[in-house]
Amino acid sequence: MSLAFSICLITLLITASIGMPIAFAMIVSAVVYLAIAGQDLALASEQLIQSVYDSFVLLAVPLFIVAANIMNAGAISDRLLEFCKAMVGRFKGGMAQVDILVSLIFSGMSGSAVADAAGVGKISIRMMLKTGHYTPGFAGAVVAASATIGPIIPPSIPMVLYALVSDASIGYLFLGGVVPGLLMTLVLMTMNSVIAHKRNIPAEEAVPLRKIPGVTLRALPALMMPVILLAGIYGGATTPTEAAAVAAAYALIVSGVFYRSLTIRSLYEVFLDSARSSASVGLVIGSALIFNYIVATENIPAALQTLLVSLDLSRAEFLIFVNLLFLALGCVLDATTIILVIIPLFLPTVRALGIDPVHFGVVAVVNCMIGLITPPYGMLLFVINGTTGIPIKAIVREGYPFLFALLIALACLTAFPGLVLGLPRLFGYEG
Amino acid sequence: MARILGVLRLGADAMAAGMLAAIFVVFLVQIIGRYVLGLSLGWTIELCLTLWLWVVFWGSAFCLRPSDHVRFDILYLSVSRPVQRVFSAVAALAIIIAFVVSYLPTLDYVDFYKIKKSSTLRIPLNYVFSVYMIFMTMIILRYSRVLIDFLRGKADVEGPITSYELIDTESAR
Repeated sequence: MSLAFSICLITLLITASIGMPIAFAMIVSAVVYLAIAGQDLALASEQLIQSVYDSFVLLAVPLFIVAANIMNAGAISDRLLEFCKAMVGRFKGGMAQVDILVSLIFSGMSGSAVADAAGVGKISIRMMLKTGHYTPGFAGAVVAASATIGPIIPPSIPMVLYALVSDASIGYLFLGGVVPGLLMTLVLMTMNSVIAHKRNIPAEEAVPLRKIPGVTLRALPALMMPVILLAGIYGGATTPTEAAAVAAAYALIVSGVFYRSLTIRSLYEVFLDSARSSASVGLVIGSALIFNYIVATENIPAALQTLLVSLDLSRAEFLIFVNLLFLALGCVLDATTIILVIIPLFLPTVRALGIDPVHFGVVAVVNCMIGLITPPYGMLLFVINGTTGIPIKAIVREGYPFLFALLIALACLTAFPGLVLGLPRLFGYEG
Repeated sequence: MARILGVLRLGADAMAAGMLAAIFVVFLVQIIGRYVLGLSLGWTIELCLTLWLWVVFWGSAFCLRPSDHVRFDILYLSVSRPVQRVFSAVAALAIIIAFVVSYLPTLDYVDFYKIKKSSTLRIPLNYVFSVYMIFMTMIILRYSRVLIDFLRGKADVEGPITSYELIDTESAR
């Protein structure tokens, strides 16, 4: 590691910790690096411009953001909650089960955990609190934990970012996330059920059977969304990026035509809000890619590969080591930064050890999503605290059992690659 | 003055929202063109990428409020107001220096592209990339304002860095 790079890292550490926006912290430290290394100072801008302008797959990001915002604005969430309440509300801890199930369905339409927590999550927190059976901390913890499923079930913005740095196929990554997403849902529901029995959290009043067809029918246009999306991608009709546009168009039709819940005014708000999120996410992605470039110039991935291979680690040992490292980093770093800057460091080693890049990618993304709920830096904790006012401390305290459940799921996914790769192989993945 | 700025801000917001809406529409045109009409439209992809570049840097220049940025604010939120002011001022100063020293080299880089035109729409690339100069200029101006506010002794120089409507956890409203 050169002196310039060490100073660059220290600058990043200091600027980010005093609260400078992460994107600017990365730009500032990149400029420091270029200045000390005696390189052209325009290189930082050049990397930033080119990484945004050159990448067709990144276009999926703003489109997924638009789709999620339309769904949140357009009463789709309400119909889904009503449907899930009819399905699982009758069990102990029913409202929390409803939230987990709705997160699963919602995740088939949105590619962002933050969108899930801020949108449908906020509504289900309100519903849980209204029953009077859940503490605010518990409600927040359930929503935070279940929002992590969002980017695992396709579509997924983090997986698009992983595909960008690893050249793995987005289609197979998306497919690889389906079983892990279902597994996460299963462990969370089980954990919730255990807690509900222990604390004796009552069920919701069961929705009578004769009402279920009507509720399902009302939610059907929304429920069809994941089907259309996946059929589009795997039927070969659309690329994943185009699927993002189709998803947004479908959400628009469902909320505008079927549910009649969108006005021109609210549509403008959706686009403005999405433009803001896209700009802030795009800026972070672009500046993380400057860092990616610097790290590559410094030859760090290759050096790390030599080091790790010389340690003679087995695949299992390597995966355990990387998982622990990512979990630790997830406590202090933003998921986008981990995926774009830290993961590429290990990709040469992943290849050298013969680990499947799709398996590694899905495991790494699940790991990073767990990082969204681990303090002190957990984006989902911030969003839920920000949208509901529930103290982060309370969410964290009630969150441990769910964190534990997700870690078990992560361990299973790491140990049994078949859970991730089974479905992609069915669709012709040779890996 | 404040009113003019307000109108300009509304205009900048409308432009960002409009560009994003345009990406969405152009994408749909591309999909319909390819799968329904059997046309391969080369210009749609380039237009989308250009608009995406503009949404990111135009949005970052004009539309992002302090609360829209991704940041690590644990330390910032845990210190007292006077220390927060110093943090904001130091951060602003660092950003200004980094952007100012790389401003002219970047201008050179963008200007260099006047000799190259984009592949299908034939727009000179220096026009396409010029949004980055707008972004750099606005960021320098914006953080200079933070620094000036700090020097004048204004209490809250950064503005609120979180902005959400809270729900009342007691009444669940």
